[in-house]
Amino acid sequence: MLEFKNVSVVKNGTALLKDINLSIETGKLTVFIGPNACGKTTLLQTLNGSSKVSKGSITLNGEDYLALPPKERAKKLSFLPQVHSVIPAIPVRTLVSHGRFPYLGFSRRSGDDDKHIVNEAMSKAGVDEYSGEGVDTLSGGVRQRAFIAMQLAQQSDFIIADEPTTYLDLPSKKMIVEIYSGLRDEGKTVVLVLHELSTALEIADRIVVMGDRKIVSTGTPEEIISSGIIESVFGATVKKFSDETGEYIVVM
Amino acid sequence: MKEKADKKILYITALLIILAVSFVVSLSFGSVKVSVGDVIGAFVSPSTSPVSTTIIRDVRFPRVLAGFLAGAGLSVAGVILQGVMNNALASPNTIGVGSGAGFFVMLSLALFPGKVWLQPVFAFAGALFATLSIFALAYFADTSRITIILAGITVSSFLSAGINLIKTLDTDIALNINSFLIGSLSGVSLKDITIPGIFIAAAAIIAIFLAGALNILGLGDDVAASLGMRVSSVRFLLMIVSSILAGSVVSFAGVLGFVGLIVPHICRRIFGNDAKILIPCSILLGGSFVMICDLLSRVLFSPYELPTGIIMSFIGGPFFMYLLIIKKGGRRLNA
Repeated sequence: MLEFKNVSVVKNGTALLKDINLSIETGKLTVFIGPNACGKTTLLQTLNGSSKVSKGSITLNGEDYLALPPKERAKKLSFLPQVHSVIPAIPVRTLVSHGRFPYLGFSRRSGDDDKHIVNEAMSKAGVDEYSGEGVDTLSGGVRQRAFIAMQLAQQSDFIIADEPTTYLDLPSKKMIVEIYSGLRDEGKTVVLVLHELSTALEIADRIVVMGDRKIVSTGTPEEIISSGIIESVFGATVKKFSDETGEYIVVM
Repeated sequence: MKEKADKKILYITALLIILAVSFVVSLSFGSVKVSVGDVIGAFVSPSTSPVSTTIIRDVRFPRVLAGFLAGAGLSVAGVILQGVMNNALASPNTIGVGSGAGFFVMLSLALFPGKVWLQPVFAFAGALFATLSIFALAYFADTSRITIILAGITVSSFLSAGINLIKTLDTDIALNINSFLIGSLSGVSLKDITIPGIFIAAAAIIAIFLAGALNILGLGDDVAASLGMRVSSVRFLLMIVSSILAGSVVSFAGVLGFVGLIVPHICRRIFGNDAKILIPCSILLGGSFVMICDLLSRVLFSPYELPTGIIMSFIGGPFFMYLLIIKKGGRRLNA
């Protein structure tokens, strides 16, 4: 279990996170939703050290997560940030092999096991056919999957991604959501930040609603829908439809 | 994949041949032409031709070796800085490391005239000062790559102003410092390059070991941190290594321009952005490039000699313009 206890982040006198108390259950798919600038990214950035925790603690399966060396953290928990700031001009295989960084020694030489894990990760993310192509030459969807393959090569039990579907077309979004849902089905703990509310409510086991740099509500999708919190935070209405093919959630 | 690997082996072999040919040709040509046989004889059996042996071993060999060290050192510094800042325009000179070393050497000349041995120490201290200033400036603003580049330009112009101030106030220094500020290998002895050479070799080896980390930094700070890298510490360490390289070179060759900019780019075009390959190839190509430029500076207007930096800037200048116009800053270049 990943637990945030009274976590606050303050930068230059501004509170970026206010007293976060949250437990993320093992083996579940948790989705963070909330308007822009509500603190979702800052909260996840506390996990890779990009945002420094000013107060409070984070524990992973009872262990003080923030006290772990960075490489140990990266073995236990992989976090894929919003990756649009840098698009590396390197082959996909090289990018994916960077996922083995936490496991490599000083010489950074990878072994046969590492190569096998990289191949498996590329295959799982569906990018093995792009192995030799430059990441900067790929479409947005394939590029995102290449980064996901890098994340998979980290072989961590906790898998976290910040807006992995933003700016992508519908088929690409679907593929990426399927990859993360599949990981949950394999027993991994998955945490995603999504802006597509209907997708979030459909795939999540747990929803965390954030607003004004704090947790507004948590619960199962049903609990969140029935609580009316979507209406109050997003000003949107949630409708459920069903037909012979299944039940659908539409956010309007 | 195999085809690509074969091509790389072919290019690396070509670089090794270019280096070997540059080395022998640079030893052979000059105001006095020495045959290739005598060049080899000067090292193998020095008694065969005493005059040639003296020219080769005491005059040209230190200079050619200095050219290799300067080119290799500045090129590796360029690879590091471009990777750390993820910017195609970063090099020891564009971010002020060269100006820092130059300014400190001028300070040593002004404050301790006659103490020539102090120059390498001051050059290194200047390069380090410039690096730390850039880092501190960026740290207090933010450590984004753009901020570091802007901080570098700011520090560079500040230190250049310092150089011009000393030149204005002390005309003796102004007269003696010209070829230093342009970059020249004239009159370099083995004694001049022994300690800087050790520093350059050590820093280049460290850079090769840090190549993997440089590649990870090229993914962006956030991704690098997520992969378990201590981003600030690694960036700082790499910048220190680059300032050791640049400062050591400045100590015996002056402020040589462009090599740290263009050689990494040529290597990127041939070998891609993997720093594990880029660094050794930049050593080979950078070393050859400066050796050839220095040879041209000696023979083009013989018996007169141009400072090496002039020839390098004549080649580097147009390439820099090409970068600005065609690549528009080349933001995507990373390791």
